Amino acid sequence: MSMEASELQDLSDDADYAASQQQGSASMMRCDSEKRSSSSEHEGAELIYTKDNVAIHPTQFASERISGRLKLTKQDSVLFLSWIPYKGEIPNAKLSDKDRSLYTITAVPFTEVRSIKRHTPALGWQYIIVVLSSGLAFAPLYFYSGGVREFLAIVKQHVFLARSAEDTNVLLVNDFQSPLQRTLSSLELPSSLPVASGQSTYPSDGGGSSNDNRISILSQYGLRKQKSHDPTRDLSIHLLEKFSLVTKFARETTTQLFSENNGFGSIDKRRNNQPVHSYPEKLSNIAEEKHHESSHSYPETDRLDNEEISNDIDVPADPLEFNNLSLVWGKPRQSPMGREEFTAFLDSEGRVVDSKALRKRVFYGGIEHQLRTEVWPFLLGYHAYDSTYAEREYHRSVKKKEYEDLKLQWKSISAEQAKRFTKYRERKGLIDKDVVRTDRAFEYYEGDDNLNVNIMRDILLTYSFYNFDLGYCQGMSDYLSPIMFVMEDESESFWCFVALMERLGPNFNRDQNGMHTQLFALSKLVELLDTPLHNYFKQNDCLNYFFCFRWILIQFKREFEYEKTMLLWEVLWTHYLSEHFHLYVCVAILKRCRSKIMGDQMDFDTLLKFINELSGHIDLDSTVRDAEALCICAGENGAASIPPGTPPSLPLDDGILYPQDDDIL
Amino acid sequence: MATSGNKNINAKLVLLGDVGAGKSSLVLRFVKDQFVEFQESTIGAAFFSQTLAVNDATVKFEIWDTAGQERYHSLAPMYYRGAAAAIIVFDITNQASFERAKKWVQELQAQGNPNMVMALAGNKADLLDARKVSAEEAETYAQENSLFFMETSAKTATNVKDIFYEIAKRLPRVQPTENPTGMVLPSGQAATAVNSSCCA
Repeated sequence: MSMEASELQDLSDDADYAASQQQGSASMMRCDSEKRSSSSEHEGAELIYTKDNVAIHPTQFASERISGRLKLTKQDSVLFLSWIPYKGEIPNAKLSDKDRSLYTITAVPFTEVRSIKRHTPALGWQYIIVVLSSGLAFAPLYFYSGGVREFLAIVKQHVFLARSAEDTNVLLVNDFQSPLQRTLSSLELPSSLPVASGQSTYPSDGGGSSNDNRISILSQYGLRKQKSHDPTRDLSIHLLEKFSLVTKFARETTTQLFSENNGFGSIDKRRNNQPVHSYPEKLSNIAEEKHHESSHSYPETDRLDNEEISNDIDVPADPLEFNNLSLVWGKPRQSPMGREEFTAFLDSEGRVVDSKALRKRVFYGGIEHQLRTEVWPFLLGYHAYDSTYAEREYHRSVKKKEYEDLKLQWKSISAEQAKRFTKYRERKGLIDKDVVRTDRAFEYYEGDDNLNVNIMRDILLTYSFYNFDLGYCQGMSDYLSPIMFVMEDESESFWCFVALMERLGPNFNRDQNGMHTQLFALSKLVELLDTPLHNYFKQNDCLNYFFCFRWILIQFKREFEYEKTMLLWEVLWTHYLSEHFHLYVCVAILKRCRSKIMGDQMDFDTLLKFINELSGHIDLDSTVRDAEALCICAGENGAASIPPGTPPSLPLDDGILYPQDDDIL
Repeated sequence: MATSGNKNINAKLVLLGDVGAGKSSLVLRFVKDQFVEFQESTIGAAFFSQTLAVNDATVKFEIWDTAGQERYHSLAPMYYRGAAAAIIVFDITNQASFERAKKWVQELQAQGNPNMVMALAGNKADLLDARKVSAEEAETYAQENSLFFMETSAKTATNVKDIFYEIAKRLPRVQPTENPTGMVLPSGQAATAVNSSCCA
């Protein structure tokens, strides 16, 4: 099973060469006069380098790939980069000339290039991404015939290239400023590229200039047709999607390898920090096959339809590496929104003018604690965004009266009546048992005869009368605790809790239906975003995802410290990228542990234990960023994986909210 | 039934019982020798493992601690399926929790592994002043239903290790071959012995 590293490198090259021969192209040509004639746009320029079979993948469909020629030219001692799609070589009706020209890169001077990110996996196609000083990036250029190394070596002869201190695969162009940089020549590109690419990863935490660059990168060429009704999309997301495609290709490939070998033979390698490249022969065959397809088959699929993940081999490598690739794209977390900033969202009478902008702000940074009491009621839907100060004040007073009335319903139950009211006694008993053990170590609830514990009991009991069908269920007190701490008012806490339960009540349904739908949706998302992991769960009878039960039931309340939980909740409650962002958070955490889970061959029991013990050890910020990237990567495929009506979506209006079984407790 | 060849036994054990009876506290005491006054409610289930040396063998308990609320009842079979042992916990200061314990016993007798070793734990034995369920009542019930009964206190650690130890002793040393879904899983070479020996 195990192979020598050197052997693997050679084989990986073979795959490239095989592909290049398939295309019948020379791998590298210099100063070819025939080619020069085609570069009419650049009069008097010296041709330094050309490379055929360099392609752009505007979509995941092989039929829509655009092959072309990459060129380096020099004029007045300035190096220029061009990429011109082949004319008439792509018999693809769907690909218009307009599309083709859209992606054309016409003589970009290297003085405007900030960096080049190279990707040279052990298997599959190499690509580079050229990032301009403006922050814009070109779509990845795939070197079907290999040769990224040679390309960079030639660039290096003409411009100053320095390796980024943060990512060895990012080469900074003409950057003389960074003291941390090490020149490319001083390092030399390692001969063992596969290993190098397997080990180098993006930094996964925030900060750092290249991180910031990544966020601001917009793909001006990423104008593929998009379902424009989705408001969450913008240009930067288009680029993200491109990357997501790369990762999807990779995953598909990995899956293929895994399934063909009936297991995870490569895990040992991965533990040793080696990229997955156990089955190069197999893969090169696949690559050839797919290559055929890419030039000769034209799927009927509507190009607008993003549903399908192509089976094409693209950049297969260590899935871990691709995790890192896909997971660094979430924006760095901002500082919490303060009062001044919040006030700017309000008009003179107190209406939130642009609720989406407000939700976006909260999504990316959360809320300063003192301000939560004002913002949470909006997020939870207790107050309408377009209500005025005065309307909210009035609303509060009306609701306070209403709460008092509801509370009176059980307060007025006499001891004699209670004797004959089993359901009430049972509920009260259950609530009494739980409130005394909810967050008692937290200051707000600690100590004997803590008043807040009593208030919690009153609110929960009142709720069980307000929503008698649902009643009280364990886990509710976990939700109420931070709400009370934030709202610091009994009636307000109650109504915020009510609003939250409008969405999350189904979590506590007797038939467990709300939980089952969410766990099912989670399994679909993992299948979409991490097929190998999904397959692992499948093989190990873990597909019910019950090990994530607690995460979902109380939205990670037991996984993070109190302050972090509040932050996460307000992020989730914005429903900014998705109503089901919590599921992406689940995927993000699982992906972070995937190598541990699969490497240790965890069975369901071990997995449940492992997941439970993650509590207190999950970094929130990076997890949210991962989840953001995953959510964007999944796009409409992700949304389509989640059945309509899955909590916390508002329930579909079909009558009975909380189906009753025999036994009401 | 016990054979001297089996030195290491893995046994799945499930804790069932009413809300707040002290299931998690018992496990926490047994596994970590800790006690928390306000042990938070269990959401979903928790899994622990702990090894005990009993006479000739080492028993590794794989313990499932479940949520007590009736509403999560539908999840329970997932946890007691395949269990070699169960501790049904009630709170001696709470009559209703004893009634609930009886329901669990019935359910396990009907649905569970027929060879399951069942223990009844009357927990919170330190709260003598608040006792609502007498030891005699529980003992009688246990005898009638072929369980063994112990009063425990997770708080003071009384009888906690003992109840697990007693279960370990009672575990069949060899898994009957008629029951391939098997509850007691002898590990390693012992598996060979399982196949060659047969007892009901």
